[in-house]
Amino acid sequence: MDNAEASIASAPLPTPGTLRRRNNIIFQLWRFIALNVRMASMILKGDH
Amino acid sequence: MARVVVLGAGISGHTAALHLRRLLGKEHEVVVVSPNSKWNWIPSNIWVGVGKMSTEQVTFPLAPIYKRKGIVFHQALGIELHPEGSSENPHPYVSVRYTDPSREGQVADLEYDYLINATGPKLNFAATPGLGPDANTVSVCTAGHAVEASKALSAVIEKMKKGERQSLVVGVGHGTCTCEGAAFEYTFNVEHELRAAGVRDMADLTYLTNEYELGDFGVGGMTFSQGGLETSSKLWTESLFRERGVKAILQSHVEKIEPGEIFYEQLDGSKNKLAFDFAMLLPPFRGADMKAFNQAGEDVTADVFAPNGFMRVDADYTAKPYDEWRAADWPHTYESAHYPNVFGVGIAFAPPHPISRPRTSPNGTVISPAPPRTGMPSGVMGKTVAMTIVSRIKLGTSSAPHRASMADMGASCVASAGTGLLHGSAAAMTMYPIVPDYEKYPTGRSQKDTFGEIGLAGHWIKFMLHFLFIYKAKARPFWHLIPE
Repeated sequence: MDNAEASIASAPLPTPGTLRRRNNIIFQLWRFIALNVRMASMILKGDH
Repeated sequence: MARVVVLGAGISGHTAALHLRRLLGKEHEVVVVSPNSKWNWIPSNIWVGVGKMSTEQVTFPLAPIYKRKGIVFHQALGIELHPEGSSENPHPYVSVRYTDPSREGQVADLEYDYLINATGPKLNFAATPGLGPDANTVSVCTAGHAVEASKALSAVIEKMKKGERQSLVVGVGHGTCTCEGAAFEYTFNVEHELRAAGVRDMADLTYLTNEYELGDFGVGGMTFSQGGLETSSKLWTESLFRERGVKAILQSHVEKIEPGEIFYEQLDGSKNKLAFDFAMLLPPFRGADMKAFNQAGEDVTADVFAPNGFMRVDADYTAKPYDEWRAADWPHTYESAHYPNVFGVGIAFAPPHPISRPRTSPNGTVISPAPPRTGMPSGVMGKTVAMTIVSRIKLGTSSAPHRASMADMGASCVASAGTGLLHGSAAAMTMYPIVPDYEKYPTGRSQKDTFGEIGLAGHWIKFMLHFLFIYKAKARPFWHLIPE
């Protein structure tokens, strides 16, 4: 097993709860809004 | 009356042209020169590459847009820069060769008062023998390439459905490639399609990269704050690889590709082979290989452009070791190092050095990513330079330039991990700043503005951006209110 393989094999897996949340429509609607707000504030921060 | 010539109609050049036209009076001329007749929303080529979108959905003809907006359009390739004019003509000009079928091959000289070099990357498949759609591998760099990739992917899926195990390799085809994010995206879209087709267990899927570790993405990786702890993009990315059963071969330079076999060197100097049935490997980039001449007709290409063909701008190009790299090395105004009325933006400007730590094998092979200039910063640069030119035309040539360093700018990258309105996902990442500044931030970047999240919302964001940016590029009403 090479280093990359070993590193991937020991990486943490998402929990069942995390996997459910990734596809939960209500939760992801909230994340859609939150991510857009975070991205927008980061864009506005830039030097231009 | 001033004439501004924009070479290139990609994200950077097209953005610059639209802002110039919007902000300048009709007495000034805005000219776009592009060898392509169509605009391409490149981030969605990934979806063309897995058969989820057509070329018509990711491209549109430029000529009607430019006609509507009053922008002069030449379907041509910029070949020579004469920033001092010539002995016969003191006015700066650029020589172009037409790709427009009605005058293909003809050469013309276009005078300019200001020039924006937004020519983007030359896809340097030739750097690796056997690489590319004309040889042994597929590509998703253009919409046309992506269609062929999709057909090749469908063919291997059919074989797997008949019980034949297949080896699929996705990644980069040279030790100095950039765009690892795109390779990552295509890897996980392929994986998603394999699962959807019910053949995931018949596929060996390998990500072949020049990155030192997963999560590097050519930006030296990122540090995220999650659950109250600092975590690395390495761990975050490895988690996805483990979750989806994708193998990775790191620190690799592809030396050559023969039918069904990739020959590569790794950072420890070892030489290896990898058999494949399907391979999508991105090429390294060069600049557009324009030449430059001074007024006396002497070749000054080496002064105006770096050896890789990208244009030297207001960056610090002093050769120095990695530990002496600084955020301040990066350009702010994108003015040519020699000509204040010439600018290089997007992928066309020469970076001072990579962002990721440079590494070389014991054989002297450079195996480390070139720095990415993704869509968001490219659009910002195009707009920024447009505003500088507008200021100079309206207020005088001593007007201070607008500034947009990648060390003071953030970027959002939404890397699709599979399509589907209800079952898709994407890794939504932001980083601020793009070029890490260790003098300002202990981890190089703002913890608050550097994060990554995987989920359906990311897919919706990428889908939304597809429509938003095509709307913007078509210069529909209020297009300029959509940020770059």
